[in-house]
Amino acid sequence: MRIARHTIERCLLTACLCAMLHGGAAAQTTPTTGCPQRPLSNAVVKNPLDLTSTNGALKVDFTLRSLKLPEQFLKECYLYETSSGPVEAPTLRLNPGDQLELTLTNRLTFVPPAPPVGFLAHDMAAMPAPGTPHDPCLGGAMVATSTNIHFHGLGIPPKCHQDDVLITGIENTDPPFSYSFQIPPDHPPGMYWYHPHVHGFTTLQVNGGAAGVLIVGGMETVKPEVAGLPERVLVVRQEFENPDSWLAGPNRLTLNFQPARYRHRLPPILQMKPGVKEFWRVANAASQAFLSLQVLFGTTPQNLTLVALDGVPVRKSVEVQSIELPPAGRAEFIVTGPPSGQAARLQTAGFDTGPIGPPNPTKELAEIVATANAQEPPAFGGGNTIRKPRAPTSADMPLKARVTARRAMYFAEAAAGTNGPTEFFLTLEGQKPKMFTMSSPPAVVTKVGAVEDWTIANHAGEVHTFHIHQIHFLFLEVNGKKLTNPEWRDTVIVPAWDGVGPYPTVKLRMDFRDPRIAGTFVFHCHILDHEDGGMMAKIQVNPK
Amino acid sequence: MKRSTVLRTALLAAFLGSAALAANSALEPFLVANDDLASPSPANSLTFYTIAADGRLTRPVSVPSGGYGIAGGYFGFARVLVVPEGADACVYASNSQSKNIVSIQAGARKRVGAFRESHPNRTMATNGVGLAANARYLYAAFSGSGNTGTFEIEGGCTLEFVGNVHMQGRNGGSVVGMAVHKGLMVVAYGDGSIESFNISGGLPVSNGDAQNATGYQDEHLPDAVDITQDGHYAIFGDASEATTVQVSDISSGKLTPTVVYSLGAAWNSSSVRLSPDESVLYISNSSGGRVTAAFFDKSTGKVRKGCTSSPLKGFYTKFAYAGAVATQLATGTGGLLYVPEFGTGSQSFIGVLRFAATPTGCTLTETEDSPVAGTRSSALLSIGVYPPRPF
Repeated sequence: MRIARHTIERCLLTACLCAMLHGGAAAQTTPTTGCPQRPLSNAVVKNPLDLTSTNGALKVDFTLRSLKLPEQFLKECYLYETSSGPVEAPTLRLNPGDQLELTLTNRLTFVPPAPPVGFLAHDMAAMPAPGTPHDPCLGGAMVATSTNIHFHGLGIPPKCHQDDVLITGIENTDPPFSYSFQIPPDHPPGMYWYHPHVHGFTTLQVNGGAAGVLIVGGMETVKPEVAGLPERVLVVRQEFENPDSWLAGPNRLTLNFQPARYRHRLPPILQMKPGVKEFWRVANAASQAFLSLQVLFGTTPQNLTLVALDGVPVRKSVEVQSIELPPAGRAEFIVTGPPSGQAARLQTAGFDTGPIGPPNPTKELAEIVATANAQEPPAFGGGNTIRKPRAPTSADMPLKARVTARRAMYFAEAAAGTNGPTEFFLTLEGQKPKMFTMSSPPAVVTKVGAVEDWTIANHAGEVHTFHIHQIHFLFLEVNGKKLTNPEWRDTVIVPAWDGVGPYPTVKLRMDFRDPRIAGTFVFHCHILDHEDGGMMAKIQVNPK
Repeated sequence: MKRSTVLRTALLAAFLGSAALAANSALEPFLVANDDLASPSPANSLTFYTIAADGRLTRPVSVPSGGYGIAGGYFGFARVLVVPEGADACVYASNSQSKNIVSIQAGARKRVGAFRESHPNRTMATNGVGLAANARYLYAAFSGSGNTGTFEIEGGCTLEFVGNVHMQGRNGGSVVGMAVHKGLMVVAYGDGSIESFNISGGLPVSNGDAQNATGYQDEHLPDAVDITQDGHYAIFGDASEATTVQVSDISSGKLTPTVVYSLGAAWNSSSVRLSPDESVLYISNSSGGRVTAAFFDKSTGKVRKGCTSSPLKGFYTKFAYAGAVATQLATGTGGLLYVPEFGTGSQSFIGVLRFAATPTGCTLTETEDSPVAGTRSSALLSIGVYPPRPF
């Protein structure tokens, strides 16, 4: 009897624990550990929960947790508490000039197995003295359970409590940490995103799903064609079978956390009303997957009206049939629903990552079902009190600005084998290739007001992506060929080297004119295991 | 464990006199490739080519290894060794997925057996199993577990497991490259550190000289290892974004701080191989699809810039990585050079180059009929030749 009772108690305890860890949908209680259950693959896709600013401010509390169950993908989740339970990775909606007050409580617990050979230990600026409280603005050990947030694409100061990733390190025992900043009144309207940026562990945390969208309102003021359209927010993430997620390997894409078609799983369902236009905003929050987005009716790619890239409205909306998005890229476009009964799907058409790049095959992200009863997403343009933003136009582009400096840099790798370990470098011409460490000196020093042309080469047989914090840049040239319509971007693809010809290059016009971005921040490859592996550098922008 | 002093002496004599014996033996020169086929492909095999008098590779014969390879891994590992035994030779090759060493009697192209650790570890050697041997022992570095197994070389191409030693670099790495010279083993850990071991008793015993190589501070991480015939110098090929090698004076029986030599811009230098006369160091630009030759002064250990080939035919269209060089001949600068080419599709290749010294340096030119196709593997990184160079 005694043994039996203990067994029953143990079973009950286990059941409770499992329910708690799974964050059972029925219970809808705040998990004290772990993450809530994510939607089923074949369910109808819904927009993430919107959290919208009111009276010029948005105040939110997030808790970052982790959960790793045997035989399941790692979860690292930003949780927002609602009256009906915790919700993962809501969309933050603010207008230019609004204030964001975001409090993050870090309660990550997952610690992966030992990192691969050659993986460097990372330390922030300083460690607290024994017995003294940890100050996240003074750094500390960067470990799998420490974190911070990068607001990708926003032109805000690189300072602690705003958008700093060099000294901000929030440990999992720290009290809630506050982020507080204003969306600049002249900020472009569009889609941005937030994600952890702890050097050495960004891949792990983003692979776990820690990423969400931030939308700066006002798109309809510069792109009136989107006003009133049903608005769909889609976040593509990437989950890895390898539980520690240190290394690339078998993986699957998800759409708003729903697994895309993967092995025997059926894909997510996007319901649209037949023939009705929708405004889609897609973020590639995958750590290494490149997307080539297409909407197909049958096997025929459809026209997509591209209105914005990387959070900035394009100069002139254009019809395209495919949109390439590197990791961290975003695209906003108009899609017309298929006729009733027409088989349709959203897919990534595959992307050639180069001779030694990882496979990036065609994958169906969602089945599009045309039905008059479609649960439309809400119409765009309601809810926010829109102030007319000063959206960048061609007049704002420093195309004709005096270029104050020209720099050349390159991506390179050094591998000890076909599977690595690999050293990743992002090096200015004339400097020695060095893997980035937190103590690395700035590779570039410039000052507010500078407008610089950067030429970035790729010495490797796999594609890389260039991203810089704090600013956007004009994407001018690829391989010396001028682009017809340069657009503002914050993340671009640098093509893979073909092994025999000259190294591929992109040329970017870097705009450091905004005094808000003075300080030290980073630029890097946004393939996250490359970034974690050292393909990053600092830039110091001195005040004018 | 059976140990026959007579047999050992005979083996030692056979090993030391290999070149001379080979020249007089009936065994035709051959090149052998560890195809490194991994599950779910068909089981691994070794492909033997007869080396014609003009250096052409002919008459490929596939010999099943009885296990599975791993289809890639560290550039610095030798996955196949050719060890002369009298007028014949034994070929030892690693089956990384099966975690064993297969031996093949070269003359008969006949598989003798597979040998494994007596305490099999469960960790798959996902980056390969690297091999090195002296006259008496064969060493196998298992990339999964970090163990280096010691096997005694018995007669008739058989091995007997002696024991395992776990090896770990100063910065957490495991063995990525290894060479032995008589009673000394030198390893590189892939994390920038290197170490030597006394192997005169069989099992490796650290010499207490683990250190970060000089190039570590500039991100040049030692990878493959070679040792001069007199045991005076250890030479490391580096994982690097350019071509660098490092040389350590080991004449004291221990590693000394390495001297770094920058030899050009060709990408990566993970594999190094001295020519039979030690006048030239052949470097595979593992990631760059080229081969670099540098001049080596065996009396001083100094390395001088030589020449770099053009990208080998098919780089990035047919192959993605270059493995370690082997030479056609066991004398001089080695005659033709053979380079394993890790395929991008279902097939690998063997590049063939001709080295020539010139008044101002040297040239490395791919032969007209290079590369040789035909191995069953898409993942070729390691080849061996008979007769091997005399050290």
